[in-house]
Parts: sequence; C-alpha cells; structure tokens
Amino acid sequence: MVQKNITVTVLRTDPEKSDAGTKQRYTVPFTEGMSAMDVLDYIYQHLDSSVAYYDHAGCGLGICARCTGRINGKAGLFCQTPVDGGGELVLEPTGKDRVQRDLVMKKK
Amino acid sequence: MAETYHDTDVLVMGGGGAGFRAAIEAAHSGVHVTLVSKGPLARSGASPMAGADFTLDGTSMNELGREGDVNDSKEKVFNDIVTQGWYLNNQKLVGQYVDTAKSQLADLMEWGIDITLSDQRAIFTSGTGIMDVLLKKARAVGVELLEDVSILELMKTDGRIAGALGLDVRTGEFIRFRAGAVVIASGGWHKAFWPNTGMRDLSGDGIAAAFRAGADIGNMEFITFCCNVFYAPPIWRGSLAPYILSLVCGGRMSDRNGDDLLSGFDPVLQQKGVLTEWNKSFLSYVSTLAAREGRALENGGIHYSRGDVDWGFMQMVGGVIFPNWKYKAIDFSTWAEKLEKNEPVEVGPAVEYFDGGIVVGDRFETTVPGLYAAGEAALGAFGANRVFSAVTEMLVQGRDAGRFSAEFAKAKKAPEPKRDAFREAEERACAPLSCTGGENPPAVRRNIQEAAHRRLGPIRSEGELTAFIGMLEDVQKNVLSNLSVSYTGRTYNKEWFDALELRNIVELLLVSAKSARLRTESRGVHFREDFPHTDNDAWLCETIVSRGEDAIAFSSRPVTVPHMTPPRGKTPYLEMMKTLMEAHSDTGGKH
Ligand SMILES: Cc1cc2nc3c(=O)[nH]c(=O)nc-3n(C[C@H](O)[C@H](O)[C@H](O)COP(=O)(O)OP(=O)(O)OC[C@H]3O[C@@H](n4cnc5c(N)ncnc54)[C@H](O)[C@@H]3O)c2cc1C
Ligand code: FES
Repeated sequence: MVQKNITVTVLRTDPEKSDAGTKQRYTVPFTEGMSAMDVLDYIYQHLDSSVAYYDHAGCGLGICARCTGRINGKAGLFCQTPVDGGGELVLEPTGKDRVQRDLVMKKK
Repeated sequence: MAETYHDTDVLVMGGGGAGFRAAIEAAHSGVHVTLVSKGPLARSGASPMAGADFTLDGTSMNELGREGDVNDSKEKVFNDIVTQGWYLNNQKLVGQYVDTAKSQLADLMEWGIDITLSDQRAIFTSGTGIMDVLLKKARAVGVELLEDVSILELMKTDGRIAGALGLDVRTGEFIRFRAGAVVIASGGWHKAFWPNTGMRDLSGDGIAAAFRAGADIGNMEFITFCCNVFYAPPIWRGSLAPYILSLVCGGRMSDRNGDDLLSGFDPVLQQKGVLTEWNKSFLSYVSTLAAREGRALENGGIHYSRGDVDWGFMQMVGGVIFPNWKYKAIDFSTWAEKLEKNEPVEVGPAVEYFDGGIVVGDRFETTVPGLYAAGEAALGAFGANRVFSAVTEMLVQGRDAGRFSAEFAKAKKAPEPKRDAFREAEERACAPLSCTGGENPPAVRRNIQEAAHRRLGPIRSEGELTAFIGMLEDVQKNVLSNLSVSYTGRTYNKEWFDALELRNIVELLLVSAKSARLRTESRGVHFREDFPHTDNDAWLCETIVSRGEDAIAFSSRPVTVPHMTPPRGKTPYLEMMKTLMEAHSDTGGKH
C-alpha cells in the first residue's frame, strides 16, 4: 500500500513577537479516520512541538467544545472534523483579532 | 515578574464534580471559596465524559419519586460494593456512600437535574447535565471560579497547608494562592497512559502535589480499564460507545483469527462479565490475555460486532443512548451501518478510573493538616474493583470534604506562606524554559504512555514491572531535569506544560508499578500472571505509600472492616471472581 500524506498549512501567531499570521507547512502521514486534531497531535509530537492548539485540557471526543478553529475555511471542532488523505489541509484560528497564540483563541 | 497574591479561605483544586460539589458546600458554610480548574469549568476532567449513572439503593430512589426496586436496601448495596471490591474496600467510606447518596440525589433533583431514565438502583443522567447544574449552583452561592489555571505545588508553613502555587495556562503567569484549607479534587492520571479515554488534563497533579507535601497515598496499583473502548478509527479513539452498547445488548467479541473471545470461560463469567459492569474487569482481562497470546488486531485490540443480537433491538437501544447515532459532536452513523451489516470495529481496554489515591480519614482529611481530598483523586470506597458509580462517589465525597475543609478554615487562622517557598517553586517550574539541547517533552511523554499501557495494564508480571520501573527511574534521574522546549515564550506553551506534568506522571507510575510488584497476588483489576491466586490470608491489606525524609516508604494497612468479614484462604483468580459475582444481592440492574 502506498502511504498517503496530507499537506498541512497552519496559520501561526506569536504574540510575544507581534508577528501575526505566518503560514507554516508540514507533511503528515495519513491514517484512515483521522481528525484535524490527530493531524495537530502528529505535528506536535513528531515535527514541531512549538505549535499551539487548545489541548492542555481537551477531551478529544466532541464534548468540551474548546478545540474550535477553521478547517479549510470552515469553522468546526478540530477533534471531530475528519480529514482526507492525499489532500491539502488548512488550519486557522477561529478569528484573527483575539488570537492567544497560533490556533488558541483568547477567552471572550 | 510581579508577585500576584490571591487570598481565600478554601481553595478547591479541580473543576469536575468533586471540586464543584466541595466548593458549593464550603460556600454554604459561609467561607470564601476559590475553585481553580486546569481545564474549562464544568467541561474538563472525567465528569463531563460520564454517561452517567448515579447509583444508590432502589428503596431510596423510590422515596424520591423515581422508579427503583423497593426490595433493594442500603445493606444490599453495601454488600455488593464490598464483594465487587474483592473485600479491599475501606468499609467506612462505603458506609458514607451508602448513607448519604439519597440526600445527594435529592440535592441534584432540587437543583434541576435532568433524569433520562432509571432502573432498579440507578438513575441515568449525563455528565454534562450534572456539571451544568453544579456550575449554576456554584455561581449562585458565590464561589469564585478560575479556569485554565493549573495548581503546580502546595505550600506549607509549620507543617500546615498555607496555600498553593498556580500557573495561568494561557498567559504563563504564576498566581500565588494563600488559603486556610485546600481540597484536592483533581481527578485521576489518565494522561500517564496511551490510549486512554479522552481527557488531556488528567495528569495526577493533585495526587502528586499532595504526596510531595507529605500526604500518604495508597492502593495505587489498582487501575480500572474500561473494556470495549474504540481503538480505531483515530477520530473515535478513546470513546466508550461500544462499551455502553455491549453492556446493554451484548454482541460478539473476537480475536484476529475470528475466534470467539469468550468461548471456554465459565457461563457465569460470560453472563455477568458482559452484561453487568463487572465487564470492565472481566472483559479487559480477557482482551489483554488475547493480546498477550498474539491474537490482537493491528492496534492491539479485538473485534466487536453485533453477532447474533437482533439489529432491531440494537437500533432501538442505540437510538436511546446515541439519538440518531450522534453523541454530542461525535457522529457514529458509519458505525451504525457496520453494526447493521454485522461488520466489526476494533476496540480494547483503556484506562478509565483510578481506585487508589490520596489517603483520607472520616472527614476527608489527609495526613497533612488543612489538606482534604475527594472524588477520584482520593483513595475511595471501591477497594480493588469498581462496579458502582464513581459519579455518586465524587458528589458524596465532595460535599463532605467541602464542609469539613470550611470548618477547618473557619476554626484556625491561616498561616502565612513563605515567600521563598513560592520563589523556589517558581524557579523549579521555569527550568525547562531555559534548558537548551535537552529532550523533547511530548516525545518522552508518548514513550512512557505506551509503556504504561502495556506494563501496568490489566495483566502484570514481575519481569515486566521491573523493566518498567527501571525505565521510569532512568527518566526520573536523567531526563526530567533535562527537558527543554523549542518555544521559550510563556504564552500557551504546551511543551512547557508537558514538561511540568511529566514529573507527576512519572512519580505516580513509579509508585503504582512498585505497589503492583509488591502485591504478589491477583485481586480485582490487578492480575499477576506469576501469582494468579487471590490470597486472602496474606493480602487483605491496602498498600500505603509515604514520603519519608529522603526515601519513599511502602507499608500495608489492614482493610477497614467494621461490618463485613472477608473470606480466608487462597483461590484462583477467576474462581474468586465467580464467587464474588454470585455473592451479589438479588437486586437486578447493571450494578
Ligand atoms: C470516559 C469516562 C466515562 C465515565 N463514565 C462514568 C459513568 O457513566 N458513571 C460513573 O459513575 N462514572 C463514570 N466515570 C468515572 C467518573 O466520571 C469519574 O470518576 C468522576 O467524574 C471523577 O470526578 P472528579 O471530580 O473526582 O474528577 P474529574 O471530573 O476528573 O475532574 C478533575 C478536575 O481537576 C482539574 N485539574 C487537574 N489537574 C489540575 C491542576 N493541576 N490544577 C487545577 N485543576 C486541575 C481538571 O481540569 C478537572 O477539572 C467515567 C470516566 C470516564 C473517563
Ligand atoms: S477537544 Fe473537546 S470537543 Fe474537541
């Protein structure tokens, strides 16, 4: 079986450097039934552990509703949005104004 | 960095059911209460993940206007909790559960809990429903609530609790709490294992901090794995949905060769071990056995399919538990198609509940004055195996811990915490931010998590435990002080939190693995391949772990048995399990 990959672009923001919105690209091996959160976990654990997304207390199972973001432009939960193999995936924070860091939004 | 102090009478660590219940009760007593939650308020920890059953004797349910078996009694529930716990229970805590569950349920009903349905001795509601009610009540009684703040360390002055150091996860700023009493309600340490049942916040911080502060912990070798948890696909990994469906409907469990997992086991085990909540210990044991015999699937699990269960029946049950095959934001519709076609999914045991924890007395006080514990973080009522409800446990314990901690805080003026102690704890916490060229926290964590799942799973052996202890000791000695982060800022720095949590995870795994190695028998959720008997002559005792001046000491404490006398002798594990299943009272239901 040929290993399918996903090409992922993550919109990154570091408030401590006031650089809003750098696009960073990663290549992640695809597994059947992966979510956008699984993709982020892979990046964090294998490629670049400086990436920030709300997971210090996430549930991973669609219950806490804290893993919100934009997946290919559409708002949703990272942990319950399936992704396709072989394609492009763009992950962004829900909005541009209240970004805490990368994909984590400030509290309302 | 500026020193921010935060003053309160009772500080509650944990925003799950036990923490909220404690906070509400303490506030009722007229003291100032601050509840600090690492995760989102009422949406973190295990509590919102629960199904959830609140379990008590049917007669009390009836008196509260719910369905429930009127022939059931407190004595029968007591009997069942103790036999299900393989007689390792602290019977005083069992008594507290049995005696106070009714008034606890009455409180919930008064506060507006939504009850889906009930059976002989349980009401079914939802974890999120319970948490919403508690959150509303806590706000109404004036509890101060902080979320996304992690307590890192407890502060003592002259041997007494004086406060705690917190970290605002979002900004990376420290918060110095001054408090007259602290309640630990920070739940279990699921994050020490992979796979697990979800929550990413449960790294045992409260148990580890209490242990560092001098509190005894115990029965750390008893870890309940839930059976039939999704292993694949990744998007559902950790979900208990197949466990719930199999508990209600049954179904077929098979290995990689397609052979039935249960054939050959005693019919009583097959019946009670699948269709009652004994399933967690029995099926987790059977699934792990299959994996150890090389009969596991790709991800280490087994197959679960509908088998000869009628599709109409399963569809009806599914429709009640997961309306339209959806549960919150999870969409199980493709699984429903597989069930209908009798196609399997991969499931397996995953860590779900910690039977051991911080040792508490009758007032939920720990061995450190001013420090209390409740809920899953405490060494609770269930002994070696939990069948009854942890949701009931967290609430009855939370309420009492809240009351007694408030009394303590009112009666004694809080000592002043030491500035230096705060500063030292802050410096220690900051070490990974300035360490360069060290090891990567998420990689170290993942490696440990996978090893913990294998070595501290439902089946253990001396050789494997010793190898695991060696690995952990090496990490403790050589790796923990050498963790570095690639992003050195403080704003939502996941690597930094991973590094801080790792210290707790490694400590608790070590204590657990050593306790498991010491216990040379099989009981409840602890099965020793090399000691496959339940030894009621030598091992009717709890494993207690204390922190001495420079070393950790393991000792044993005879079980607290004011009411039911345990059996004697040595019995093969599954035979003992069958005897205990048959010792169940005549009340039906899943508990
Ligand atoms: C998936 C799942 C399903 C379950 N279903 C059921 C069921 O149906 N019935 C049942 O009876 N039991 C069930 N259980 C068990 C039960 O849910 C738990 O035992 C119970 O909810 C524990 O409550 P708690 O308040 O003690 O801890 P938790 O609910 O785990 O709460 C712990 C809290 O402490 C916080 N915390 C952790 N570390 C820190 C820190 N350093 N600083 C500050 N806060 C911190 C967390 O963020 C969280 O808010 C289930 C468990 C799981 C995992
Ligand atoms: S992490 Fe909880 S909903 Fe996604």
